[in-house]
Amino acid sequence: MNSILHPLSLRGADVSSAGSIAAGGTPAAAPFTRRTFLKNSALASTVFALPTILASRALGQNAPSKKITIGFIGVGNIAQNHLATLLGFDDVRILAVSDVDQAHRDTAVAKINASYENKDCKSYNDFREMLARPDIDAVLVCTPDHWHALNAIEAMRQGKDVYVEKPLTLTIREGRELVAAARKYKRVAQTGTQQRSSRRFHDTAEFIRNGGLGKLERIEILIPANNKYTGATWKPESVPAGLDWDLWLGPAPWSPFNRQSCHYNFRFNLDYAAGQVTNWGAHYIDIAQWALGMDESGPTEVVGSGDFPTSGLFSTATKVDFTCGYAGGVTLRCRTRFDGVSDGNVRFFGERGWVDVSRSASKASDPAMLKEITAQAGKGTVKLAVSNNHHDNFLQCIRARSQPVSDVEFGHRTTTVCNLGNIAMQLERKLRWDPVKEAFIDDVVANRMRERSMRAPWSLA
Amino acid sequence: MADKSPRSKTDKDPFRVYEERFVATPDPWTEIVKLEHGGDRTFGSTVRAMVMNAEPAQRPGMEAKLLQALAKPEITDVGRMFVCRMLALIGTAKCVPVVAPLLNDAKSIDAARYALDAIDDPSINALYRGALDKVSGNAKAGLIGSIALRGDTGALGALNAIKASTAEPAIVRTAATRALDRLAAKS
Repeated sequence: MNSILHPLSLRGADVSSAGSIAAGGTPAAAPFTRRTFLKNSALASTVFALPTILASRALGQNAPSKKITIGFIGVGNIAQNHLATLLGFDDVRILAVSDVDQAHRDTAVAKINASYENKDCKSYNDFREMLARPDIDAVLVCTPDHWHALNAIEAMRQGKDVYVEKPLTLTIREGRELVAAARKYKRVAQTGTQQRSSRRFHDTAEFIRNGGLGKLERIEILIPANNKYTGATWKPESVPAGLDWDLWLGPAPWSPFNRQSCHYNFRFNLDYAAGQVTNWGAHYIDIAQWALGMDESGPTEVVGSGDFPTSGLFSTATKVDFTCGYAGGVTLRCRTRFDGVSDGNVRFFGERGWVDVSRSASKASDPAMLKEITAQAGKGTVKLAVSNNHHDNFLQCIRARSQPVSDVEFGHRTTTVCNLGNIAMQLERKLRWDPVKEAFIDDVVANRMRERSMRAPWSLA
Repeated sequence: MADKSPRSKTDKDPFRVYEERFVATPDPWTEIVKLEHGGDRTFGSTVRAMVMNAEPAQRPGMEAKLLQALAKPEITDVGRMFVCRMLALIGTAKCVPVVAPLLNDAKSIDAARYALDAIDDPSINALYRGALDKVSGNAKAGLIGSIALRGDTGALGALNAIKASTAEPAIVRTAATRALDRLAAKS
């Protein structure tokens, strides 16, 4: 982390907006705008004096007066708040969207054009056509999980910086390939684990990292339950007009359309996602990894037991329970909560007691420790990267060509922990993991579960 | 024939009904050839759990059962894909004779790659190279991707020829170009 250049610390900015993250992993709509910043800056006059929709690279990537031009891959559910937030940035211009569902495209284009009071936003069914445009600087990847790696790698190959929704990828191999592409093409690549841009989570992780709890003993994470029951069997349905089902499936094994396996619910089918382990686990395990200083590493063993449906459409675990062991002796347990709360939480146990953080609250075995966490922020030996707005951090890093707070390496390592848990629960045996080689030790089957073949013509190559 | 079992099977035998049901339950290794989209996948789940949790010594026997299922003429497309995905977990070079023919048909080549991609055996490399002339379009692009990810530098000549061929569609030539980039970085 020492080598990371963080272009602007917004520690003094309004932190009340920083932790504003809606349920389900979606950032809240437009909590932060840089309009005031730009108007008050010496650069503001330049902004209004120059043409407004030139790609930043056209006049130099670092030119602060240039709008950063954005394209969206996927404009369904999760993209809505990204759209709303980015439409609030004066130095951003959303030029195009791509989605395999025409209804999604039309809704997004209408929203964007209404905001800009023009009809300029273009839409594409095939993301590759949008990525061929040289006037787009950066892309937000908001597709189902099985698409993330291919979307992001192709975008970076075409010279775009990327913001990739969590979980970063479907498989461990895909994550490593995505990170390699980011380095190969020298792209800014942010993972959508936006809890890192919340002061609540940042300060807690930094407190733990600096030994605020004394010797750390274990970490307990709760994630929401999932998987509505849809019956033992299901029927193929007609593909709705305007939906390119074949392109929606992309690299996944072919399957006939069923509305329950498409928008949103895709996350409960192992062909497309990994259930709540990656949906919510990607957020809370990410904070644990941050606090442990494991952003470029991971656990060394994992064991788990989950309930996987043996019939019906959905196949991801309905009950999650796995435990990872780290080299220093700390354990991380992640399991499903059944109290109806639609949020996760992460609780750190150490010599001094425990600290618990979620999106709604921070708690501690000794309430005085909460004041200590706030007071110690930024004062410890280890200073974690500060970002008070995940989108703004991404945009600043695009201009500065620096590493974002949720760089894809970190996102990959977090997603790997989620996948280790999922694999261990399916194999029902203790697995040993080499975080350097990113390989299981002496387990052929587990190693083969690190990756999947793709339906033609798609490939990671 | 007289019943020589320790318990006599009478109407009053409390285990009789249970045993009849048990005997009537089909063999999951046989049932997987009938899998269909939307159908009951319970037997598939049973086989999947057995494959995943098998001891190493049990895997050859399970691989043989999977190959037997794959060779059944009545196997469905869904069943074939399922079996190949199970072979992706425990398959060895022993798969090649049964799976290889699937590579030559655009309808089954994805399933074949699912089974073979994960197997680290040089015979698979040769098999893939040999299949390049037998498929076209998307299927060929996918096959080229598999060759690249396997790091088969022995395919450089064939890939260069595909890249240069104006008879090939753009998606195939692009796949060849990217495969060559990857293999060049490896060699």
